[in-house]
Amino acid sequence: MKTWLIHHMQALRLVLSRFQKNRLGTLLICLSIGVTLALPSVAYIILDNLNGLVSSVKSESQISVFLTEKHDTALVSGIEKILKQNPAIQNVIFVSKQDALEQLTAIDANKSLLDSLQGNPLPDAFFVEPKMLDATSIESLKNELSKIQGVETVLVDGVWIKRLNSLLFLGKKILIILAGLLGFALIAVIGNTIRMQVLTQSAEIELSRLIGATKSFIRRPFLYVGGLYGLGGGALALMITWVMILFFNQTIKAIANSYQSDFNLHFLSFAEILVVLIISTALGWISAYFSLSSSAKRT
Amino acid sequence: MIVFDNVTKRYPGSIDAISNASFTIEQGELVYVTGHSGAGKSTLLKLMAAIERPTNGTVLINNQNVSKLKEATLPFIRRKFGLVFQDHKLLYDRNCFQNVALPLAINGITGQEAAKRIRAALDKVGLLGREKSMPITLSGGEQQRLAIARAVVSKPSILIADEPTGNLDKNYAEDILALFKAFQQVGVTVIIATHDALGRTDADNQTGHEITHHENKVLHLNQGKLINPTNSEVIV
Repeated sequence: MKTWLIHHMQALRLVLSRFQKNRLGTLLICLSIGVTLALPSVAYIILDNLNGLVSSVKSESQISVFLTEKHDTALVSGIEKILKQNPAIQNVIFVSKQDALEQLTAIDANKSLLDSLQGNPLPDAFFVEPKMLDATSIESLKNELSKIQGVETVLVDGVWIKRLNSLLFLGKKILIILAGLLGFALIAVIGNTIRMQVLTQSAEIELSRLIGATKSFIRRPFLYVGGLYGLGGGALALMITWVMILFFNQTIKAIANSYQSDFNLHFLSFAEILVVLIISTALGWISAYFSLSSSAKRT
Repeated sequence: MIVFDNVTKRYPGSIDAISNASFTIEQGELVYVTGHSGAGKSTLLKLMAAIERPTNGTVLINNQNVSKLKEATLPFIRRKFGLVFQDHKLLYDRNCFQNVALPLAINGITGQEAAKRIRAALDKVGLLGREKSMPITLSGGEQQRLAIARAVVSKPSILIADEPTGNLDKNYAEDILALFKAFQQVGVTVIIATHDALGRTDADNQTGHEITHHENKVLHLNQGKLINPTNSEVIV
């Protein structure tokens, strides 16, 4: 156990002293890893933030069906029955005019406006979530609904959110593939670097083998090099991402202000930062491992 | 103790580098392995040091059969040996001290304990003042002595040297041989491969050469075959 610890400390110290000797080279390799990792990180942050924005909007109400002012409860339940039986409808929510008013008055800003009104100007309404989201089926559903007796107006809204949602889903798929491909690129870059180092140190490796070094003794420093390249690259990727988000947010804030929104991009959470560092370190380690296995026969 | 029993080593696509060699080397012996270049001296040393495994026959090192050991345990057998290579195999990207430190690092010895042993080893070969020098700045004889310091730093029970005096002039060569004899006197088994000039016992006796081999074991090789140096018979 003690020997094992000494061996690891030894390898780490050796690797750090080699980094110190070749500071520029180490920095350049970490930088290329960092830039490669920053790309999917930024894409992830943008997607994650948009996702949060979309889910904060009530996406259930795609079609609002407002009823005429004069009607009785029998008519309401009749309409509800018709809506629930319609095969093109996923979900129906009824909001009575009292409920709607209460919801509105719950928001302070509306109070003075509502106080100036006499009575309740709001109609009873159904909020309908359609099954199909393409333009033609929405249009035909709208026509169908407006023909129901007791329905005053039918408003189509919120469909864009569902469409954005599916776009975001596509974006996530693209992100996963992008991250996977870049991961492979990183394995190739780090693996090749390690391979070159194995070649330049072939004299030491050969000698160590002859005088009784175990395989793991020879491999350990290279695995550390790979892991540390990954860790350094991950840290640089986080820095690059952070600067990019700051840069983007200047513009995003201006746009969001014009929409009366305080939306801006949030940086990664602590757990996500940890995940980036762990993944990058693991990638470095794995590439070193593969590179060593492939060059083990020659050394 | 090293025991060879009917050992044959054949490299793929070539004739036998060693054929049917049998001998025993006891602890504390000084053994010369002699023969022309290409006679199989280096191969014999590699078989002794568990660097190569025999094609046929058995090699016992301290009663462990090298051919039957797992690949993963071979490094631990190799640590019993101090090796001096024909081409020194010094690492030119680090100084003398760091060169000698490598075998200790492999054994997991670092820090003060390692430094003490490294300086003792450098002292033994007369290089104590040069610990910070790079090997490239050393003369041929000094480089050879550095290689010896590296071989003995982990206090091996068997010291194996391949042509340690190969390209040194006579005075240097005698220094080096005296050094090996000093190790033998403290109980280390010393095995030295050397080319014919030093291996000919008759010539030594005739010229009254300082290095007399008749009291030591000589393994004379000729085209991979072991020949008894005194009566020139093939030992089977």
